[in-house]
Amino acid sequence: MMEPLEMIKDSLNKQIYIKLRNDRELTGKLNAFDQHLNMILENAEETHTSVELDEETYEQVYKQNKRSMPMVFIRGDGVILLSSHTDH
Amino acid sequence: MSGTGEKVSATTKTPADFLKSIRGRPVVVKLNSGVDYRGILACLDGYMNIAMEQTEEYVNGQLKNKYGDAFIRGNNVLYISTTKRTLGEGA
Repeated sequence: MMEPLEMIKDSLNKQIYIKLRNDRELTGKLNAFDQHLNMILENAEETHTSVELDEETYEQVYKQNKRSMPMVFIRGDGVILLSSHTDH
Repeated sequence: MSGTGEKVSATTKTPADFLKSIRGRPVVVKLNSGVDYRGILACLDGYMNIAMEQTEEYVNGQLKNKYGDAFIRGNNVLYISTTKRTLGEGA
């Protein structure tokens, strides 16, 4: 019987997309992971999405802040969803 | 009441039996955040980690994203529900 974590093995050394808590998303090459979903991503880009209220029109404005990291460790408990980058 | 318990267990399935039986079926997975994921349940484990295919992400009932294959970490899961509704029909 196949287990979900085994399917992540297929994503090793490939570009993946991760949805994290607090409206954060990451893409990058998956170097390593463990059973907690702690992960090492190479050439990662983080996107933080925040909602701001326009002071004049009171419309909701989605603001995206991006930053790049050559190598990053992600603690597994913040992970919501994982997918291959091309799917996203 | 152990006698009653045995009688029930002979006819009733446990939650784990249900989860085993719904692999390959179309499901809705709701997360604690309120986000819905609709797709085909590929497999799951004891932590309720889920692998889904043809996954559609619905936020406030609106389709926001599609993923060919998606892995959902079990701690975020509120419920898993089977659905007869075909994919793409909306929340």
